[in-house]
Amino acid sequence: MKGFFDYVPGSSYLHRLNPLTKLLLALMICIAAFISANHLFLVMLIVLNLGIGAQAGIFTRSVMLLKGLLKLCIIIFLLQVLFIRDGNVLVKLPLNIFITDGGISSAFMVVFRLVTATMPLALMLSITQINDLSNVLVTKLRIPYPYAFALTTAIRFIPVFANEMTGIIEAQTSRGVQLDTRNIFKKIKLVLPLCVPLLITSVRKIEGSAISAELRGFHLRTKNSCYKKYAVNINDICVIMISVVIVGSAILVNSIF
Amino acid sequence: MINLQNVSFSYNNEKVLSNISLHIDKGEFTAIIGSNGAGKSTLCRIMNGLLKPSSGTVTVNGMDTRTTKSSILARHIGFLFQNPDRQICKNTVGEEIRFSLDIAFTDKSMIEKRLFETLSLFDFDADSNPFHLSRGERQQVALASIIAAEPEILILDEPTTGLDYVECMKIMSIIKKLNDKGITVIMVCHDMEIVLDFAQRILVLAEGRLIADGETREIFKMEEILRQASLLPPQIARLAARFGFDDVFYVDEMTDIVLKRIKNRRKRTG
Repeated sequence: MKGFFDYVPGSSYLHRLNPLTKLLLALMICIAAFISANHLFLVMLIVLNLGIGAQAGIFTRSVMLLKGLLKLCIIIFLLQVLFIRDGNVLVKLPLNIFITDGGISSAFMVVFRLVTATMPLALMLSITQINDLSNVLVTKLRIPYPYAFALTTAIRFIPVFANEMTGIIEAQTSRGVQLDTRNIFKKIKLVLPLCVPLLITSVRKIEGSAISAELRGFHLRTKNSCYKKYAVNINDICVIMISVVIVGSAILVNSIF
Repeated sequence: MINLQNVSFSYNNEKVLSNISLHIDKGEFTAIIGSNGAGKSTLCRIMNGLLKPSSGTVTVNGMDTRTTKSSILARHIGFLFQNPDRQICKNTVGEEIRFSLDIAFTDKSMIEKRLFETLSLFDFDADSNPFHLSRGERQQVALASIIAAEPEILILDEPTTGLDYVECMKIMSIIKKLNDKGITVIMVCHDMEIVLDFAQRILVLAEGRLIADGETREIFKMEEILRQASLLPPQIARLAARFGFDDVFYVDEMTDIVLKRIKNRRKRTG
């Protein structure tokens, strides 16, 4: 997932929205994904996510994100198909395992929900500067600054740690550790000990960041320290209405089908 | 040993290395120099197969890095990263070195022998915690665990960055001893004094291009090349050049010339 949470500069319609509106849109799409039990509606939400990516000029990243989720989706799909036994039996397998139509339907549902709920937050973070998100949480939602800072720092550190892990994997591969194996189980077994260097570097980085923040007057900051104003304009109202319509549609589709 | 033929590498549609061809023979001590972002570390990663070239071929002991796994190439190439914390993953120095030995050797007596030799070479306490050591000492632990596996080629990505003079000289003297035994050393370095003291050959990179490849003293005479790579020759060489002395790179050489001139002047003035 390296790079998926990095901010992509731009001046698109979505870029210019209030960070709170973008957060609301992302959350509403997630909520709609969990409310809806209709496969077609979930596919439409995935297409909507891709559309959002295209509008914000990050369509390639949206597709890459989809590809990144694909491996996880395949694992979840197989687990669902093999262990859910509702419905009619379609295929009988050894070890008393059988595939049912209910299992397949449930597997698709879980996979679609996973994709639909993951994409909007990643896309929202790609088009929102992390400082703006932090400021809007403090000024508009009245969240105490230390908590908003903790949340945004955690998000900011995701690509940093992903980069660090890549470096660790490279360092260990260079020593002859077979991390370039295609055997997923062997790879997991080899990756686990690498959590030690990752943990050590993470703790060192966090300690450094904490000292740096304190030296720059972290505790002196109040909600009035932010000079930027985050106004809600007509564009924001339109997007908020669209968000409500999305959730409403999910409820409506659920009640009809 | 290492052969690069028209190697180019792009990342995110940006050309990092372009059309590099070179050959490094067994036992050479080669320094790669250039400004930040010139592609030095990328070139090193290309050489040990961590990165595959976008075009061209890289062979190490006849093995194409495109088709050979990095973990297999690691049996021939030891790679020391700039940050030792990415490499150290065990709780004691002894375990850390043994980790590399377990990968490289199967014979238990050999593993014990190499462990003892490596600990003695670096004067390490096998039970000490590597995470409690200074940065320089952690860098030594990382180097020890690499050379314990007896690679034929050693690639060092800025091994002396952040080290004090004593730690730096300790690491460099160990590397020199290995080179004297026939191990090929390729080192990325920003310290021109160290390059001058240890390297026999220099590769100069600028904006992803290999702009010069030659013997150390010859490269340091090429002012225009060094300027292109945003580099300066060692201070003593610059001082000597200002006085009009060519081919002076060491304090001893400068002292000899100055003393000779003083003697000549004294003779002339009687």
